[in-house]
Amino acid sequence: MSDNHSRGSPYAPHTEAMTMAMLDAVDAESEAALFDIPDTVTFDGKFDIPERSERATRRHVEGILGRNDDLTAFMGRGHYDHYVPSVVEDLAGRSEFLTSYTQYQPEVAQGFLQALFEYQSMLVALTGLDVANCSMYDGATALGEAVTLSQRVRSISGDRVLVPDLLRDGKREVLENYAAGPGVIVDTYSTADGNVDTAALEETFDDDVAMVYAENPTVRGTIEEHLSAVGDLADAHDALFCLGSDPVALALLEAPASVGTDIVVGDASSLGIGTAYGFGLGLFVTREEYLRQVPGRLVGAATDESDRRTYTLTLQTREQHIRRERATSNICTNQAWVALRTAIHAVWLGPDGLLDLAESCVTRATDLAARVDEIRGVKAPVHDRHHFREFVAHTDQPAGAVRAGLADNGYGVHAVGDHEIQICVTETTERAVEEFIETLAEVAV
Amino acid sequence: MRYDQARWTNDEARYEPLLSEKSTTEVSTDDSPLPDDLTRDSLALPDLSEPELARHYTRLSQMNYGVESGPFPLGSCTMKYNPSFTEDLAAHPAAAVHPDQPTRTTQGTLELLFGLQDYLGRIGGMDAVSLQPPAGAAGEFAGILVAKASHEHSGEGQRSEVIVPESAHGTNFASAAMAGYDVVSLASDDDGRVDLDALEAAVGEETAALMLTNPNTLGLFERDIEAIADIVHDAGGLLYYDGANLNALLGQARPGDMGFDVMHYNVHKTFATPHGGGGPGAGPIGVTAELAPFLPSPQVERSDSGYEFVEPDHSIGKVHGFYGNWLVLVKAYAYIARLGDGGLEDASAKAVLNANYLAEQMDFEVPFEPFHHEFVASAGDRDAADVAKRMLDHGVHPPTTKWPEIVSEALMTEPTEVESRRTLEHLAEAFNAVADEDDETLAAAPESTAARRIDQVRAAREPRLSWQSLGEYTGGRTH
Amino acid sequence: MSFNVPDDLRYLDTHEWVRQDDDTATVGISDFAQDELGDVVFVELPDEGDELTAGTDFGVVESIKAVSDVYAPVSGTVTAVNDDLIDRPELLNEDPYGDGWLLELELADESELDGLLSPDEYSDQIA
Repeated sequence: MSDNHSRGSPYAPHTEAMTMAMLDAVDAESEAALFDIPDTVTFDGKFDIPERSERATRRHVEGILGRNDDLTAFMGRGHYDHYVPSVVEDLAGRSEFLTSYTQYQPEVAQGFLQALFEYQSMLVALTGLDVANCSMYDGATALGEAVTLSQRVRSISGDRVLVPDLLRDGKREVLENYAAGPGVIVDTYSTADGNVDTAALEETFDDDVAMVYAENPTVRGTIEEHLSAVGDLADAHDALFCLGSDPVALALLEAPASVGTDIVVGDASSLGIGTAYGFGLGLFVTREEYLRQVPGRLVGAATDESDRRTYTLTLQTREQHIRRERATSNICTNQAWVALRTAIHAVWLGPDGLLDLAESCVTRATDLAARVDEIRGVKAPVHDRHHFREFVAHTDQPAGAVRAGLADNGYGVHAVGDHEIQICVTETTERAVEEFIETLAEVAV
Repeated sequence: MRYDQARWTNDEARYEPLLSEKSTTEVSTDDSPLPDDLTRDSLALPDLSEPELARHYTRLSQMNYGVESGPFPLGSCTMKYNPSFTEDLAAHPAAAVHPDQPTRTTQGTLELLFGLQDYLGRIGGMDAVSLQPPAGAAGEFAGILVAKASHEHSGEGQRSEVIVPESAHGTNFASAAMAGYDVVSLASDDDGRVDLDALEAAVGEETAALMLTNPNTLGLFERDIEAIADIVHDAGGLLYYDGANLNALLGQARPGDMGFDVMHYNVHKTFATPHGGGGPGAGPIGVTAELAPFLPSPQVERSDSGYEFVEPDHSIGKVHGFYGNWLVLVKAYAYIARLGDGGLEDASAKAVLNANYLAEQMDFEVPFEPFHHEFVASAGDRDAADVAKRMLDHGVHPPTTKWPEIVSEALMTEPTEVESRRTLEHLAEAFNAVADEDDETLAAAPESTAARRIDQVRAAREPRLSWQSLGEYTGGRTH
Repeated sequence: MSFNVPDDLRYLDTHEWVRQDDDTATVGISDFAQDELGDVVFVELPDEGDELTAGTDFGVVESIKAVSDVYAPVSGTVTAVNDDLIDRPELLNEDPYGDGWLLELELADESELDGLLSPDEYSDQIA
């Protein structure tokens, strides 16, 4: 085919002769005659979108993307950059995976089903809980789904969900949109020095609480030290304990099942994707007793006619295409392909590699905080806690000015308070640490 | 034509073994830099070399079927070819930006988002577009929340019902319910379209919105769309367009011109981004100027100093933690930019031509006409699910089956514009060959796929959702 | 196809049956209902001690592709539920009037039974 096209879609194979013959076969004078659309709503205008060759389209889009600054982002707060090995792109990019549909015909989709079953199983290993679904959109929507689950569980009667005051604004907005439908109120509890303030939490906890949410690591990079206390409070008030985390952190930090967690949500795209403007993968793992209330698709083992073990989407009566307005969620299209990437990345790392990566998230953050603390006009870390990937630093200068000064020199950090910046470091940014420290020293005074 | 899918068989009980069965290692966290009480004790995960894992996933891919494997006429899903070059653009290093970067450092990203908002607005005839919803159902949820916010803003918060035609996508019912609405189901008329009398009877002071797909799930255009819009609007409700079938209409008609107030686009259908085995997609929403102040936050706007984020005055807030499925949006933008007016219009024209040509050659009856980009055939006295399984043996992916229920033993078929006449003829041959086969052959199908017919009943009765829960689950009944 | 409609039971038009034994009643779903659903894979039942009201739903029966609410033919207090169905939901298909029973009630108002369908009336409905 030619790269130029002036008479139609480059992906429709019809020659003019073929089109004429087909029209003839269906007894139609023209393509237009096939449309049964009243004249009054027929569109006779133009979109005014030019047609382009593939080459020209690539140049056009690359030109647009090229107007992004080449920033070395020491940034996290829910979206992380870890090195993604080439084999992930290579394998997940195979068209049999990438261009396939949801596995409603399992006999011809065993490959993807097995990959998703393995993904679910790895999340079970990481959390110690029983049931993982095969993806939600992102960590924020997974948290929203957790709240709606709490409203369907018979033993839970409350209509309040408690979240930390540190919760990202965006995540809270998503949560409030999900909570509004079933009439759940989102309430805040205080944190102290970057961790749950257990006394304050106990104060606000009551039997009208359906679910309490905590994160580990927290959005400010601190490792949470009071998870068991949160779990105990949830138990005492017949509420669910939902924990936000990610697969790298889960490899090292306390196993959620051991601290009384009922649901684990979070963004699993910390593996498999890298920095992608918040493009995510919502993980959702819970206890067996809530199986029938789980949102989204589940892959289960099955057997086939030859009596061999196979895999299939199962328990679909929970889902919208069967249960409609009484479904556990409206989710249909999910993030299956991202889950595939995350699974491949996790296997590539293996248990040793994943644990090494998690440990390096602690040591790199600790080391960088110590280096940053030596800079005049900066104190780090602000919180007297252990850290994972990132930490908050106090700056004598306004945080916005420090952030802007760093951006002018090609570095990204978060401004999270009037005089607080947040810095994240992983293996992908470590190479730039020396120059970053020098630049920070210049702009922070 | 016949199809034999790769089938990797390990032994009498298993096909390709699980990762965990290949090699698992348990590692201890004893040497971690953290105090013991903040760490787990150990971690057990698969432990494969890169060559081993490459072989594992390559084998799995061979036991999977995509659009590049063969015809995929799955009704309502628009399984068209996903252009390769869009993958390269999504993988471009300049697309890898952090969502919290200052917008002055992400002008390229904002320009692309602004461009896609603009393109989609023109294509749908909508005044403003939000790209944030990460899937079609998320778009429905966001769109209904916008409708709800607008009703509340104008003191009409008492409106508590969303009307959905019986034959609609299940997501419509579920999305309306998630937004806190009661769902009122609307029966179709004998022609398979909205029954105007039933609609008149259903609307009232409680009506917040009517959700509609056009053409509907039978492929029929709702010819009374203007009357429908009047009925809903006169009752004070809003009209919602489910964009699942937009591939029928590009350049021919626009939801905004039909009286729709809010719509979602399925970019993984209409705009050719890959389905990825279930996702990711993207479900942007378009609205009229009246509803624009309620859109999710932020919107991208252009000013003298460049592109910037703006929070709509009465925004519903966010429906995704960040800015939606960015990489998918890059692919969608690239697809639209490549096709332009001519390509988009031609895509729909050829999609409709292909559906008609295929239906013309099929022996199964198609009870509802005139359809557009898809049609629903009836398998008659055959079991549609069995027909589907047998089609796999003929080298084609089957259509969507047993839905919508208005057609008995439905075969919902959407060939899309990418199939050639010859492929359509082959598809028809597959349908017709299966129609002529006996029930036993159909019930025994498929035989040439990686797995044989799967026992769904056992899977649901004895849920085993992880390798940890498998036990002795290696074929045969466990009790 | 003809379905088994035992003579000694009363029926609800939503396909539940009830068998009276003094002041208690056993409730299940009919042969017709189990056939319509297909292979039952899951049953959700109330707890012992729960109060049921005639005509309202008290649980669900699920097959692979369908979910069906189950309605109380009569009002009363649940005195027993069929726990065997948790592990063997197929009992509903195999023996809907026997081992596939759903629950037992202590009748609140015996006269409610009179309002139910007779075997003949129910047979006509599903004919």
